[in-house]
Amino acid sequence: MNNNEYDVIVVGAGCAGPAAAKKAAELGLKVLVLEKSQVPGEKNVSGTCLNGAALLDSDLHYIVDCPTERLIREMRTYHINSDRTVVFHEIPSEGVLLLSVRRDHLDAWHTEEAKKAGAEVKLSTAVVDIIEENDYVKGVITDSGEKYYAKVVIDAAGVNSIVGRKAGLIPKRKGTDMILYITAAVKLGEEIINERFGDCIEYYLSPGVQYKTWPWIFPKKDTVTLGTGGYMDENLLNDDFPNVKKYMENFMNLPIVKKKLDGGEIVSWGVHLEYDETIERKVRNGLILTGEAGGFVIPFLGEGMPESFFSGIYAAISSAEAIEAGDYSEAQLSERYEQLIGDNFFMQAFRHIAAVNKEAILSKTDEEITRLMQQVIMGGGFISSAIHTKWLKGVEENNMELIQEAYDFLELIQPYGSVDPDFENLIKGRRNK
Amino acid sequence: MNIEMKFNYYPGDTGEFIKVDEDNCVGCGDCAKFCTAGVWEPDGSIYRPVNLKSCLECGACWNVCDYDAVIFSEPRGGTGVRFSYG
Repeated sequence: MNNNEYDVIVVGAGCAGPAAAKKAAELGLKVLVLEKSQVPGEKNVSGTCLNGAALLDSDLHYIVDCPTERLIREMRTYHINSDRTVVFHEIPSEGVLLLSVRRDHLDAWHTEEAKKAGAEVKLSTAVVDIIEENDYVKGVITDSGEKYYAKVVIDAAGVNSIVGRKAGLIPKRKGTDMILYITAAVKLGEEIINERFGDCIEYYLSPGVQYKTWPWIFPKKDTVTLGTGGYMDENLLNDDFPNVKKYMENFMNLPIVKKKLDGGEIVSWGVHLEYDETIERKVRNGLILTGEAGGFVIPFLGEGMPESFFSGIYAAISSAEAIEAGDYSEAQLSERYEQLIGDNFFMQAFRHIAAVNKEAILSKTDEEITRLMQQVIMGGGFISSAIHTKWLKGVEENNMELIQEAYDFLELIQPYGSVDPDFENLIKGRRNK
Repeated sequence: MNIEMKFNYYPGDTGEFIKVDEDNCVGCGDCAKFCTAGVWEPDGSIYRPVNLKSCLECGACWNVCDYDAVIFSEPRGGTGVRFSYG
C-alpha cells in the first residue's frame, strides 16, 4: 500500500470516529483519521452525559475509563406553569445513572485510544470532497488538496457531514426533523455546584423557555451546562423570539434557575443543529455513515453518544469483514451493518421510545406539554408513556396487534425498570485497575 | 449574571466556506432569520454571508434554504469556532 492508501479512512474525531478507528485498528486494518479541529471534540454538536445503561454493553466498557467530570446519581424535573411549580426528584436506591463529561476531554482521550490501537491521526485537516470511481467512494480530498484513498470510508463527520452530503445520502432537513439548540456553560466552582446541584441532572419544562424540547442543566466538576432550543419550523422564531438566544435568556431568568446560577460566569456558548430522525440510506459502495452523519442520535431523549460509539464500532466490523471478503459493495457492507444495529437492544429500544413520545408531544402546545409532563416523570415516564400510548390506541381501535406490541415492549424493557448496580461495579472495577 | 453571547474561535483565516448562489437566491431571508451569529446580510435583492468570522458552523442557513442558494463547505482545518462543552 502506498503512503496515501489505507484500508479505512475515518472522517471526524467526535464520538463515532475514534470508536470506529480504534476497532478497525484492533482488527488489524491500516486506518487514517482526519479531524478538522485542532483538538478532537471542539466541533461537537452537544453530548454532556454518557448513559450507564449503554456502557454496560461489553463493546463500550472501555469508555468508562474516559476523563469524567461527575458520576450522576439523581435526576430532578421542574414543571413550571403559571399556577405552580412541581418538582420530581428521583433518587434510585443504588447505582450510577450517567457519567458527566466534557466533549473536548472525552474525544481527545478517545482519539488517543485509537492512536494507541494503531490508527494514524491527522488533526487540523478538513475534508472538503470525496473521490468517486465507477459508483464507488474511493477516498477523500482535504482542504489543502491532498488525496487519501481507502477501501472503505467511514463518515463520522456529524450532522452536516460534507462526506455524506457529497455522496448524496444526507439531505437538507428542517421542521420537525431538525432541532436548533443553544448551550451555555456557567462556572460556579465545585463547592457551590455540590451545594446547589450535587450529582443530579435537572430538566425544566415551562412555556417560553423552549419550543417542544427539554431544557436541561447538567453539572460538571466546577461548571454547569445549560441547553435549550426547539424544532426548526416556522414557529421557532418570531417577534417575541428573534433567535434561540431568547429561549436561553428566558430559561436563565426563571426565578429558580436565576437563584441557582447566582454569582456564576458564562465561560462558553454553543449553537448546534441536531437531526431527529434516522438517515434512510446509510451505506454506499465503499462508504458507511456513522454517528450523527447517519442520524444515530435521539435529541428528543438526549441520547446520541452511545449510538455514535456503537455505530462506529459496527461500521469498523462491517468494513473489516468486507475487506476480508474483497467486496466493499453497498450490499456487502449494509447487510452486516444493519444486522449489528438491529441486534443492539439499547439502540432499538430508545428509538422506539422516542418515536412514540415524539408523535404525542408534537401535537400539543407548550402549556399542554407542561401539564402532561406533570403526570409523566422523565426517564421511566417516557418508557411507560410509550407503552401506554400504544396500549390505549389498541384498546380504542380494538386492535389486538397494537396491544400485543405494547406488551412485548414492556417485557423487552424490563432491564431498564431498575437502576443496575452492575454499572457502579463496572466503574469501581475499572478504576481500581 | 451577564447573559451576553460570546463564542470562542481559533485565530486564522477560515476561507470562504459559505457562499451564496446569486442565481438561485430569491432574497427570502430565511438564512439570516435562522442564523444565530448574524453572518448573513441583505445586499439589494439577495442575501450574502458577510461576517464569516462569526460563523458557528451549525449549518442552519444551508438546511433552511428552499432555493439551494447556500453553498456550505468547511472552514480551513484548525480554524473556526471552538466548543469545549457539549
